[in-house]
Order: sequence, then C-alpha cells, then structure tokens
Amino acid sequence: MSLILYHGEPNGPSLTVLAALFAKDVAAELVPIALEHGARHQLPCAREPLVALSIEGEGPVLVADGEAMSDSLFIACYLDDVGRGVALRPPGAYARWEVMAWCRQLIERTAPAAALLGCHAHPPRIDAGTLAQVGSVDLRARWEAMSAQRFSPEQLADSRSKIGQATERTEARLDGREWLLGGFSVADLESYAWLAGMAALVPEAFAQRPRTREWLERVRAQPAVARALALARSPDPSAVWSVGPEINRWG
Amino acid sequence: MHSVTLYHWEPNANSGKPMLALLEKGVAFESHYLDLLAFDQHKPEYLAVNPQGTIPAMRHGERVLTESTAIMEYVEECFPGPRLMPADARDRWRVRWWMKLMDQWLGPSFSMFGWSVFVGPAVRARDPKELDAAVERIPLPERRVAWRKAISGQFSAEELAESKRRCELGVRLLEEELGRREWLASPQYSLADINGFNLAYALPVSQPHLANDDVTPNIMRWLRAIYARPATRKCWAYGRTNLAKRVAILEQPHIGAVREGA
Repeated sequence: MSLILYHGEPNGPSLTVLAALFAKDVAAELVPIALEHGARHQLPCAREPLVALSIEGEGPVLVADGEAMSDSLFIACYLDDVGRGVALRPPGAYARWEVMAWCRQLIERTAPAAALLGCHAHPPRIDAGTLAQVGSVDLRARWEAMSAQRFSPEQLADSRSKIGQATERTEARLDGREWLLGGFSVADLESYAWLAGMAALVPEAFAQRPRTREWLERVRAQPAVARALALARSPDPSAVWSVGPEINRWG
Repeated sequence: MHSVTLYHWEPNANSGKPMLALLEKGVAFESHYLDLLAFDQHKPEYLAVNPQGTIPAMRHGERVLTESTAIMEYVEECFPGPRLMPADARDRWRVRWWMKLMDQWLGPSFSMFGWSVFVGPAVRARDPKELDAAVERIPLPERRVAWRKAISGQFSAEELAESKRRCELGVRLLEEELGRREWLASPQYSLADINGFNLAYALPVSQPHLANDDVTPNIMRWLRAIYARPATRKCWAYGRTNLAKRVAILEQPHIGAVREGA
C-alpha cells in the first residue's frame, strides 16, 4: 500500500490525521504543505471532486494507492481500520456511536467557530493565482472573507460563545473520566485539535474548567500527539490557522 | 414490545435514514411518529427523550441515540442482517465522505427550498402567538433561527441563489459519481445510498429540470433501483403526508426533460 500524506502544521485537521497515523503505526510519506497559504490547491489531486469539494475547508489529503482522500475524521477512521495498535474508536456499537455523534456535533459547531477565530487572530494569506485555483466556490468565498479580514462582531461573539459551549460540554464529560469517551479515542484527538489553539484566544472559556485544561495536557503528552507536534515548523503550531468549515448557513 | 423505538417524522431526509437502515437489516421496531408541522418534537414528552428536540432519535433498550447518520452506523454494527457498510476501508471512507457532503452541504440547500415551499406555508396560517410560543420552546438557538426564517419566509434572494447553485452542482456530482459505479460510494449498496435516497428521491418532482431520464440517467437508474427494494417500499409506507407520496413518481418508466420553471 502506497500512502502519501500532504499535511499542514500540526493543528486542527492536520493534527488529527498526523496523530492518528502515528498512533496506528501506519507508514506514509509525509509531505508538509502550507495550508495557510492555500498550497493544497496546487497539488496534482486538487481538482478531484472528493478533494476540491471537501467541506472541512483546508485540511490534509491522504493519497492511498492513487486515490486522494480528504476530511480528517474519516481519514482517521480509515487509518484506524488499516493500522496496527490500540483502536482509536472503542469496541462496541454504542461506544462507537458516542464517538461519531460527539465528533459530528464538534465538527458542525466547534470547528467552524475555532477556524474563524484562529483566522481572525492569525490571518492566512493566499495569492491571487492560488485563489483562482480554489475549485469550490463557497470555499473561495470564505478565503476572500478571511483574507480581507471581513468579520462581523456578531460572528466573532457567536464563535466565542460556541467555544465556551464546547469547553462546557468537555468539562462535564470529563467528570470522573480521564478521556472523553472511554479510552483515548479519535474524539479526544479531534476535540484537542480544534480546542488547543483556543486556550489563548478565548481564555474565558477555559478559566473555570480545570478538568478541560488538565485533559489538554494529557492529550498533548500522548506519544502520537507529541510526535505530531514535533513536526511543527513554526514556534507555535496552535497559532497557525487556515480556512475551515463554513458556519451553518441556516439552522 | 420491541427493544427498538424510532422517533421519526416522514420517511424523508433525516427521519428516513435510520428507518430505512432498520428495515434493510430486518430489525423490528416500534414507530413513534412525530408531527414536525405540529411541533411535536419540541413538546415536553419528546424533550424528555431527546433534550435537543431534533428528529430522529432511537431508543434501544435504555439508551437513546441521536444524529441520524451516526444512528445508521450503530444500526449497521449492532444488528445482524445484510451488510450496509463495505468491507474495504477505503470504500468505508468514501461512504462517510458522501454522507457528510449530503448531511452538511447539499441537504441544507435542498431543505431550504423544502422549508420555503412546504414547511413554512404549512404552518404559517396558524395563530402567530401560538407559533411564537412554539418557536420559543425550541432548545437549540440555531434551530430557533431556522424555524423563524421558514415561518416568515425570510430566506434572502442571495441565500436561495446559493442553495440553487449547490443543488445544481450537487446533482451534477451525484450524476458523475453514479456514472462510475452502480451504487454511490462503493461497489455494494450501502448507507450512502440510503442517505442519498432520502435526500434525492423526490428530485424529479421538486427539481424536474435538474433530475430526469434525459439529463441525469444515472441518478434515475439509481433512484429506481433503491425504490424497487422491499425495504424502501415498507419504509415509504410510513409516510402520512403528500411529502412522502412524491416517491410514486419513480414508478413512471420515463421522465423527460423539462425547462426550469415549466
């Protein structure tokens, strides 16, 4: 099996996939790309529909035997299936439902808010030539808004509130638990990947939540996560953001 | 008494997904119909089951599960019967990719039209005070916004134009993908097909210029193949409104192209 992983800095979706790859001991050629400059759109596979129309926004791409795969959670599930080592989704249908339902709510509510706040604080930059190559019309529109730093106060306030809701849920979930859902799982990875960079940007969401802060440290110390973080090319990868999923258009 | 109870509305969109998955697996379940247009899903008796007030939810023994696509994966793993997820890991990735596109990108665009032409007008005639109180009971703030927009017909021209663009692009993508293989995301019938049928079964009625035998032969072949399955027939028999009855268009042997707005 030939695997090439095009990934950004170990933050957000790239962190999830890198850590999953290491946790599952899957061998792949690692190719760092500047997602924060739109470099994914210059890849040979950029125009393939299942890459160009990934609604995750600027995430990593895993090319497996020639097929380009996008969307970090589902790539992590794939690696969980094909790799060795401890399962990233717990055994049992109900426990696996919990993981997928948790991640779905996180992806729909927390990830767009985190990406927006991250891009507000650490603006991604794309040149006109690369922007013209962005195949998805709605992703290109988000790039234009982020590049021009067009943020409404309502959007920012709503996103901060969604980070607060996420840490509130996390804090409640960690009552008496070390990990979010049973053992260490892809739910911890995905949640950490979107929330780690929010501690500096929305400190009030973490202030009264000691269990969440301790859990962040535990996830960071996991060998697979530490190995992913060690790939950083910037001093603080949690401050490197690119355009993420869109905020729900309605309801 | 069955160990599974499904709380659902019409066999359509999210409600129909776990229902069709259960029927494909041959799992007996108790059907608990909630009338979305009467706001049954925000009434205290249902909020006691699912505090978020979203449909569908499934009770299995003492446990309650929500999120329709995650429920489908649970049904697949938990019960015997025909496999609805492919054995190959990359095929499973493709199934999940398509389900996410349909759940979070294409589905909301289809439903913006559905809500503006069906749900909104169906509830708008009621007493405004009663409607306002019903909306205030909705637990999730974003769902409150959605209902207000649907009730008052406040979708802007820009929002509707963007939904139209996504519907057109989504239909084109589906047609191309179904030109590559018999089923949507894998060589075998899967949860992606169940998800897709719930989204697209009425396309020849709601978007006749986009989906018909002349323009999208692969989509039409696929819809008719799913409609021919015994589980699909049983599933759509749970429908009580004209919404679900639209599925009967798939009995027509040929649906020709029409102009937009014709």
